[in-house]
Amino acid sequence: MLETFSYLPEMSAAQLTEQVRSILSRHLMVGIEYTARPDPYGHYWTMWKLPLFGTAEPDAVLAEVESCRQAHPEAYIKINGYDRARQGQVVSFVAVKPERGT
Amino acid sequence: MFQAGVREYREIYWTPGFQPRETDVLAAFRIVPQPGVSPEEAAAAVAAESSTATWTSVWTDWLTTLERYQAHAYSLEVVPGRTDQYLAYVAYPLELFEEGSVTSMMASITGNVFGFKAIRALRLEDLRIPVALVKTFQGPPTGIQVERDRLNKYGRPLLGATLKPKLGLSPRNYGRACFELLAGGLDFTKDDENITSQPFMRWGDRFQFVMEAVRKAEQETGERKGHYLNVTAPDCEQMLERAEFARQLGSPIIMHDYLVGGFSAHTTLARWCRRNGMLLHVHRALHAVVDRQKDHGIHFRVLAKWLRLAGGDHLHTGTVVGKLEGDRASTLGVVDLLREDFVAADRSRGIYFDQDWASLPAVLPAASGGIHVWHMPALVDIFGDDAVFQFGGGSAGHPQGSRAGATANRVALEACVQARNEGRDLAAEGQQILKQAAAHSPELAAALDTWREIRFDFETIDTLDVVES
Repeated sequence: MLETFSYLPEMSAAQLTEQVRSILSRHLMVGIEYTARPDPYGHYWTMWKLPLFGTAEPDAVLAEVESCRQAHPEAYIKINGYDRARQGQVVSFVAVKPERGT
Repeated sequence: MFQAGVREYREIYWTPGFQPRETDVLAAFRIVPQPGVSPEEAAAAVAAESSTATWTSVWTDWLTTLERYQAHAYSLEVVPGRTDQYLAYVAYPLELFEEGSVTSMMASITGNVFGFKAIRALRLEDLRIPVALVKTFQGPPTGIQVERDRLNKYGRPLLGATLKPKLGLSPRNYGRACFELLAGGLDFTKDDENITSQPFMRWGDRFQFVMEAVRKAEQETGERKGHYLNVTAPDCEQMLERAEFARQLGSPIIMHDYLVGGFSAHTTLARWCRRNGMLLHVHRALHAVVDRQKDHGIHFRVLAKWLRLAGGDHLHTGTVVGKLEGDRASTLGVVDLLREDFVAADRSRGIYFDQDWASLPAVLPAASGGIHVWHMPALVDIFGDDAVFQFGGGSAGHPQGSRAGATANRVALEACVQARNEGRDLAAEGQQILKQAAAHSPELAAALDTWREIRFDFETIDTLDVVES
């Protein structure tokens, strides 16, 4: 169980696209992070590149998630939405779990 | 030259057209004058008795410049639809109030004047706290964004539950009840306000068993959890002793009942929480005694503003949909006052003045009281992400027990958030969204069957006045 959306069935590609679209439509900045060992007390996962400043297309975000998954098949990958006005994350959920997750 | 005797208040304190200063504290009072007392005299009496005046002239008035300290009743209107009630606006100079003290504001503005004989009933509807005074308060120890960052919870409302039965469980059984709810998917559990340190469960025992439950639920779920440990105590020394023990046990959050504990005690605790990196959940027992009757008392929006100043990270506001009193528009006005940095005057929501909070941290509204899983779409729609929904009976009352009840609520919440983000209309499609989610959650399916018919459709007592637009 890993926080937001972890009590729902795994999202289809189309459902994931809708969630990313909602982040972008709120003009939040998307960031991707990954780790092989999630820890409820660990705030900092490894960043996959810099936040995707200026990205407006859900497909571009999901392509980065896929690149991250291929490079780190053992990892959990989350998608974050940063709000500059609030100076913090306002969206964060695990989009990919490893096939043999812990 | 000093002349003994009684003067009419309105000669001095009724100043129509007075332009309030940016630094004045502004108050909106609902006044029902006694028969034969003019509204101007009643408004002036309120301004007078809550600032510089006493009932007769005194020689010592001549040792100061009272004009500098006097309040001004500067505007008056008849309450829409009434002939015996008036709204009076009063401006108080900043110098009347001690810095960082809600207690001082209460003693001045809501002091003797509420028992004044020339007035049949009096209600403080709203207060404008000037930025100059806001800046003298610490405010919430943590604030919404840092709470989310600390607990790693984003993009959805938080879920809690008050442990039931509210009285009579042993510490070990209480910890069990707590564990089941947290392991099932809630973020927080809560002490009921009646739970302090009774013979059946002393506070130290409760804290230890509950924190074991919190830790174990965190290990099992991989999520951060917390329990609002109530530190409301007979005296401030014991309050701080309990807070300190909660900190030593690693609790992320404690709870205080701010009205019964009192503002001085509460402010002490809020400052302690800021120093110690502790979240502060605030319960509001006693509020309905003060705020429910429309003609007399203090409106909850004022009690909520005072709490934001004194400091708290969560505050109970009512649910709009559950078992407890609360007009919808008025409750949403209060929610704005807790969460936003600037709130514009809006009489349709009961907000009489612009309020600038000048970067004071925000408070998470807690919706609690008679809510269950069918309410979830409306709650997500009404409150948005920045709220805590407290499902007490609505979790532990599940036919398969607390854990399944908690899971049902969590599934329902996440399904609603997912659907909202996809652009679906929760108000229109809520029932369908829940039923779809229940297809993959037997816990949610059972919860939907259990609470289908429960509603709380009673007339609201504290309604807003109809304002012509």
